[in-house]
Amino acid sequence: MENMMQGVMNKVKTWARINSPWAIHYNSGSCNGCDIEILATLTPRFDVERFGIKLQGSPRHADVLICTGPVTLQSRDRLVRIYNQMPEPKFVVAVGSCGISGGVFQGCYNVVGDISEVIPVNVYIPGCPPRPEAIIHGVVELLKSLQP
Amino acid sequence: MNINFPPLVALLLFPGGAFLLFSGLVFEYIDRKLVARFQNRYGPRWFQPLADVVKLLAKEEIIPTGVVKSLFVALPVIALTAALTSALYVPLFGFKPVFSFQGDLIVTLYLLSMMTLCIGLAGANTEDRFSLIGATRALTQLFSYEAPFLLALLGPAIALHTWNIGEINAGAGNGLWFIIAQPIGFVVALVGLMGKLELPPFDAPEAETEIVAGAFTEYSGRGFAIFKIGRDVELVIGLTLVASFYLGGFNSPLDFLWKTLLLLFVTAALQSMFARLRIDQTVGMWWRVGVLMVLLQLVVIIIGQQFAPVVQPALQSLFGG
Repeated sequence: MENMMQGVMNKVKTWARINSPWAIHYNSGSCNGCDIEILATLTPRFDVERFGIKLQGSPRHADVLICTGPVTLQSRDRLVRIYNQMPEPKFVVAVGSCGISGGVFQGCYNVVGDISEVIPVNVYIPGCPPRPEAIIHGVVELLKSLQP
Repeated sequence: MNINFPPLVALLLFPGGAFLLFSGLVFEYIDRKLVARFQNRYGPRWFQPLADVVKLLAKEEIIPTGVVKSLFVALPVIALTAALTSALYVPLFGFKPVFSFQGDLIVTLYLLSMMTLCIGLAGANTEDRFSLIGATRALTQLFSYEAPFLLALLGPAIALHTWNIGEINAGAGNGLWFIIAQPIGFVVALVGLMGKLELPPFDAPEAETEIVAGAFTEYSGRGFAIFKIGRDVELVIGLTLVASFYLGGFNSPLDFLWKTLLLLFVTAALQSMFARLRIDQTVGMWWRVGVLMVLLQLVVIIIGQQFAPVVQPALQSLFGG
């Protein structure tokens, strides 16, 4: 009986999580190309509110951290702090080639490396920069992976 | 409709309590969908507010360092409680108010202000600078819209010689609707309601582009969800108040539906038409324009009432009425 209740509760929680991913956007040192595409994704033309995706100002309200660019020495501490400020369960989406491998900035004197060297990443979206359709696809893939 | 509900049922199930919570979510969905359609996009799915609230309730709640813990946990609950309590005095869904006495209009307005007060305290409680600025702005805004909103709702009360919401609701349907008899009062009441709910032209207290999320910046999970539900409940109660006062009162649930949805449509249109006002513009608008207009309206009503016994027989003898 208790197990059944637990199962139902878990199902409801997963359903809510999948249908209401609130996002926060952080630029950890990218060239701003990916950020322009992310902002384009949030415009009425692509209307991500269809999937319940909402851009939040505060990391405390967010479920998904959308992160762009290689991690520079300056922004490493900030990125980690923002990640720690988010309440569990939290997910990270790395947008753009630089977020995946460091891209053209790989090996620079001021660059730590890609995002997964600093915080755990759930989904990578390749492209330089990826189109808004690709970003939406990436987030939808993340939501699909939450389905048990 | 004059059905008497037992107080406990009214408080917990219908028309207050659980049913009110769900209708709050439905009203939030309609509001968001309308704004989305005005912006030429599809907008959220019908279960979106429910999914948001369930997700927030299931999330981890972080209690930041430097806050008074008991206050941090209690404030959202107090805000929701006040909003739910005020539901007992208004003609929700077209049914008679569960409790009523002379002067319950004032009590209801104070209960509705508890929400803003709690938001202000919640912001001032944390050490975060953004929530502190948000709290200051929320309280500043409270001082600017509260007086005109109260004066605007007093118009029908003075015209009908009663400060009882139930009696005003019953009396508003007789004769000319107050939206035509007191148009200034209606406009101020509707815009005041938008200020109360911090809807877009008046959303400086939680301006995302400047101060992160205002007073809610440090709230996550459960506390934020309860604040959100409280806001939705207040949306329903505020719309009920304004619609019953100015749109001829409610006699049936159907009456309630079309009148509140009409008001919601107008507020959604206003939300998508205007850009955010600065906090000094908000205060200036209310005290320079809003209060003066409503005071003028009140003076006209009072003068009209004083002279009506003198003028009416004269008019009647003139026109043979």
